[in-house]
Amino acid sequence: MRSNRLFFLILIFSLLLIPACQKESPVNNDRVVTAIPSDIESVNPLFAFDLNEGNISELLYASLVEHGWNYQKGDMDTFPMLAKSWQWSKDSSSITLNLRDDVKWSDGQQFTANDVVFSFDLYSDPLIQSKLYGSFKNFYVDSSQHIDLKKTFTITNPYLLTINFKKNSTPSFYDIDFPIIPEHVYKNVSRKDFVTAEKEIKPVTNGAFYLAAWNKNQSIILKADTKSFLYKPGNVSEIIFKIVPDYNSRITQLKRGEIDLVQDVKADDFPILKKDENIDLVALKGREYDYVGWNNIDPDVYKKSKKIVPNKLFGNPLVRKALTYAINRNEILNEFLDNHGDLAWGPISPIFKSALDTTLSPLPYDVEKAKELLASAGWKDVDQSGVLKKNGQEFSFTLYIPAGNPRRDFVSTVIKNDLQAIGIKVNIEKLEPEVFFQKMYGRELNAWMAGWTIPIPIDLKPFWYSDFSEAPLNVECYKNKTVDALLNKIETTKSESQKNILYKEVQEQIYKDEPVTFLYWVDKIIAYNKKIQNLNVSPLGPFNRAWLWSVK
Amino acid sequence: MSFKIKVWHFIVFLMLLLIMLRINLLMNTFLLIIQFINLFVYSPSAADAQLEFTFFDSIISAILVIIIPVLTFLFRQRINFLQRKISFTSFVIIFLLSFFLFAPLIANTNPAFQKDLAVTKLLPPFSSIKVIHLKSDQNKIENSLSDFINLKNLVVKRSFDESLIFADSISIGNDLTYFQKGFPTSLSKDKLILKNNQPFITSKYFILGTDEFGRDIFSRLIYGARISLFVGLGSVLITLFLGLSLGFLAGYPGGFVDTTINRITDMFLAFPVIFFIILIIALFGNSLMSVIIVLGFSGWMSLFKIVRGEVISLKNKDFFISARLLGLSKTKLLLKEILPIIIAPVIVNLVFQYGNVILAEAALSYLGLGTGGSYPSWGSMIEAGQNYLSQAWWMILFPGAALFLTLFAANNLGREINSTLNPRLET
Amino acid sequence: MITFLFFLLRISPGDPSQKFLSPDLSPKLASLIKESFNLNAPLISQYETFLMNLCKGDFGISYTYRIPVIDVIKSFLPFTIIFSLISFVVQISFGFLLALISVRRINGIADKTFSKLSLMIYALPSFVVGVSLIFIFSELLNLFPSSGLSSFDSESFSFAQKLIDYSRHLILPVITLSLGGVAVYYKYLRDNLEEVYNKPFVENLRAHGFDEKYITRKHIIPNAVNPLISVAGVELGLLFGGALITEVIFALPGMGRLTVNAILSRDYPLVTGCTFVAGILVIITNLAADLIKAKLDKRVVKGILN
Repeated sequence: MRSNRLFFLILIFSLLLIPACQKESPVNNDRVVTAIPSDIESVNPLFAFDLNEGNISELLYASLVEHGWNYQKGDMDTFPMLAKSWQWSKDSSSITLNLRDDVKWSDGQQFTANDVVFSFDLYSDPLIQSKLYGSFKNFYVDSSQHIDLKKTFTITNPYLLTINFKKNSTPSFYDIDFPIIPEHVYKNVSRKDFVTAEKEIKPVTNGAFYLAAWNKNQSIILKADTKSFLYKPGNVSEIIFKIVPDYNSRITQLKRGEIDLVQDVKADDFPILKKDENIDLVALKGREYDYVGWNNIDPDVYKKSKKIVPNKLFGNPLVRKALTYAINRNEILNEFLDNHGDLAWGPISPIFKSALDTTLSPLPYDVEKAKELLASAGWKDVDQSGVLKKNGQEFSFTLYIPAGNPRRDFVSTVIKNDLQAIGIKVNIEKLEPEVFFQKMYGRELNAWMAGWTIPIPIDLKPFWYSDFSEAPLNVECYKNKTVDALLNKIETTKSESQKNILYKEVQEQIYKDEPVTFLYWVDKIIAYNKKIQNLNVSPLGPFNRAWLWSVK
Repeated sequence: MSFKIKVWHFIVFLMLLLIMLRINLLMNTFLLIIQFINLFVYSPSAADAQLEFTFFDSIISAILVIIIPVLTFLFRQRINFLQRKISFTSFVIIFLLSFFLFAPLIANTNPAFQKDLAVTKLLPPFSSIKVIHLKSDQNKIENSLSDFINLKNLVVKRSFDESLIFADSISIGNDLTYFQKGFPTSLSKDKLILKNNQPFITSKYFILGTDEFGRDIFSRLIYGARISLFVGLGSVLITLFLGLSLGFLAGYPGGFVDTTINRITDMFLAFPVIFFIILIIALFGNSLMSVIIVLGFSGWMSLFKIVRGEVISLKNKDFFISARLLGLSKTKLLLKEILPIIIAPVIVNLVFQYGNVILAEAALSYLGLGTGGSYPSWGSMIEAGQNYLSQAWWMILFPGAALFLTLFAANNLGREINSTLNPRLET
Repeated sequence: MITFLFFLLRISPGDPSQKFLSPDLSPKLASLIKESFNLNAPLISQYETFLMNLCKGDFGISYTYRIPVIDVIKSFLPFTIIFSLISFVVQISFGFLLALISVRRINGIADKTFSKLSLMIYALPSFVVGVSLIFIFSELLNLFPSSGLSSFDSESFSFAQKLIDYSRHLILPVITLSLGGVAVYYKYLRDNLEEVYNKPFVENLRAHGFDEKYITRKHIIPNAVNPLISVAGVELGLLFGGALITEVIFALPGMGRLTVNAILSRDYPLVTGCTFVAGILVIITNLAADLIKAKLDKRVVKGILN
């Protein structure tokens, strides 16, 4: 009996060990595997709300035009895609598009101008709530933001289409750059149940790739469509989005060669990965900045009566400046981001070279200056208790951060300590992201930390305009009449150089008022296996024109 | 016969050791108390401004560290526990309790202290760095208050200090040059505190290393023990209250009330508790208090079952009926007649519950839903350590070990009490 | 329970429509979206529709996945059931095996080490175990994958390869999830076995000269195992609810992670759905445990009579 049991045990252990000895399967030669932290919810460009959904949908579905980043200009160039060529009218109030006639949907149907019109229809339909809903400001729309198709589109023949924009609007290529979806597939789906019904329909695509498989919570496999007009023999044949939620596993698998591309690499890992001879790293100058929001108005009063009363603590620009002086932003940049970033002092990213006001520079870390400014604003440590007071009120506040973001954790801890050193009591409170953003957008918070990714093309109005109904992102409740006037002027200006001058003026105003403490622009670090050729990492992300990749 | 180390020996030894190691700090603390009383007499409002939790904390632990060994010594014959041979369990428990009471004395640094991250970030255990002391140009006005504040800064550890600079290495020429991560910076000597005409430079040791913020892991561990103990005790008290009162409420009248409460309890038992906890915390925010309350509310079911069972079996006993006929109120019936009888199983249950709570708190912190960033908690330390697993093993090892030892001791204690009270189950 | 949950979710702060609102939208449109989720209706009428749908077995549509809740759960449940069953079997069999070994010589070396070990293991938090296992076996030794359920290219594998692929991914999670359970079952069984060992009827059988092996197999084990069954029933039910921590550490597609994510993203229908399913599973396993117990009891009774 004893030997029996021993045998049994050995059997169990050997069974456990067999798989350990198995070799990894050989890797397909022209396949690229990339890791994403969580599964996507949809490949349909209508509902591509998050970044990876956007990337995938743009690989699957072609757009009318495509954009590429021009480093010299610090701006985007437009290239033909589904539209072979185009002609703007003289007053640029309409554009005539010459569409390709050699594009087929993956089910064999021909792509025509009807698909384009149908896409505009769906994207702007209030019943569908697409990701672009509400953004068709340059078009003729009805009261529910739905595009007026009759007024807007003129189909001369299936491959010649004219789009008429709203009078006095300033349309650009960005208004027509989004993936086109097939009319024949979604035509008969009821708009009311579209959101759920769409899930049942197999994606029919016209882009460089088609969806070969989607294993929930495991992987999304895209294969090159060899019939596509974007396909060239020798280019990458397969892109796999593997879902790996744990950051450390993504890095380990990258080193092992199981994954070929990882986005959002932590600065800590930069030097380690740099040593790996199979891996290339790109630190992309970002268009994402972190800031500490100081509510310029009193949130409690605003909530109760919608009245605008200056904030007791942060209403004074001197105080806000002092807070910026007191925070050792360089230390954060060096120690958490390992210098992969730039100190920020305004809302325009250094990548927009022509719009950036280079005469301004970030405020230095200067504790004495901070104390001086605070004292001039009336905040003094009268009783030597270590906490600043003014009219009997202590300078103490709660800094809210969203939970589950290591960078916010880190930076808020440093900020707390820095401010404590000049006599300001800070209490950090983590909120669940859902709750946090609800409160932030509701302008209920006094002080918080968040980040903005600024859009391409630059659009400052939603962030800094003083009429909150037009500026939902002006959550710090910044109000400056000069800035308002400038922002309005930008909207009606067509000349790029004129716009850039106005942008610079806005930056100067904001620099003067320091409505929030701008912390730093974050570099986006992307690591990829050297076997990927032609990978062009631009502010548009690594997957921009991924069909041009090839694998060595 | 060899000499046996008894519990009281150990306590007295530990306290004496602590006093010896921290004798300077203790002296300063008592001086501070005297100065404070002095200040309070002359200008109560100025004294009032100096009051804060950390101040009391330091003072109380300084007083206790003197009183406790004396009391232990005096009462060594009376209290049975003190006469026991020291065992692993009591060893751990005494350690934890002293962490709880004497955290400001044991830990040399504020758990949130951070400075010069370039030097202090992720240092391995037993590393040391150089400290440059700057002349403080503040408090130039000499008055009684500035003396007091200087002393207070010595006693009460602050989370920042502008008069220090941390450096990897230092070279002294005409000026002093210090290196942080290889970057040299020069300092003129007039800014420094001098001793024998040489810059005053000391070393700082990090016994257990530092974390990603350059904070001292040892002191975070000590203060983390406080949080664990506090959360544990707080929620166990809530559990006790709920279990006792509901159990009595259900068992005593019986009938409909009993069935209803019992059903609800069954329902709670069926639903995985951790979801319930996460649900509540996620919905209503996480603070120290809400964690304590939620953990307290989630563990009453087994205690309820015990109490209810006992009450049902007791309520038909003669002594109970006669007590009731005497007209004792329900609260009194519960406290005077029932509690003494069921105390043993209740205590055992609570000790196990205490272990569960500590574990749950750590798990919550691990999931990022714990007591928040303001308090160092073992769970959150482990969570942070996981992100730096390959670079800094010490960040996860020490809190992990502390958690393990605490749980182990709690479980052992539960078993020990159980077997003393219930010899049949002794193994 | 479900009712309680419904109201708890609705009164809590946080707004599920947040996710779909690009901040560029005006407040007017925001309320339109809320309308489409039926979130603006009064609470009571929301509750009514909710109960009606529940009776039809319809939990509604998940906000985040935008497909019916049932379908979401369907894609997560099989994994959880298989994973918990594997872990359950491992827990029971190892616990049982070790208990038998240590009972053979009470207070022998094996008994003492196992007992000490089981106490220690019981005190090890699963997240510490999980993280250390990942560190040792994935990072240092590179033996097992650290997360996920299968390799991305598992589609092209043969059946045997797939099986191996799955088991490679599952070894560390199963160890993490089972370790505590093994310790519990071991302790429980060991104590029970010991107790039965010294019962008068066993002494009696021994006195009648029955073979020790026979006594162990026919009398001691059934008697010792019996009380375990109801405990095991409850435990299995809780396992089905999701081995939350393990799933989080190893990023496994199970019910635990689903539920937590649903809670965190305020996906009300999904939370209720998950809770409901977890509750049903608990009831089913408890029922099963009772049935098995009843069956076993008869055999024990018969065995003794014979």
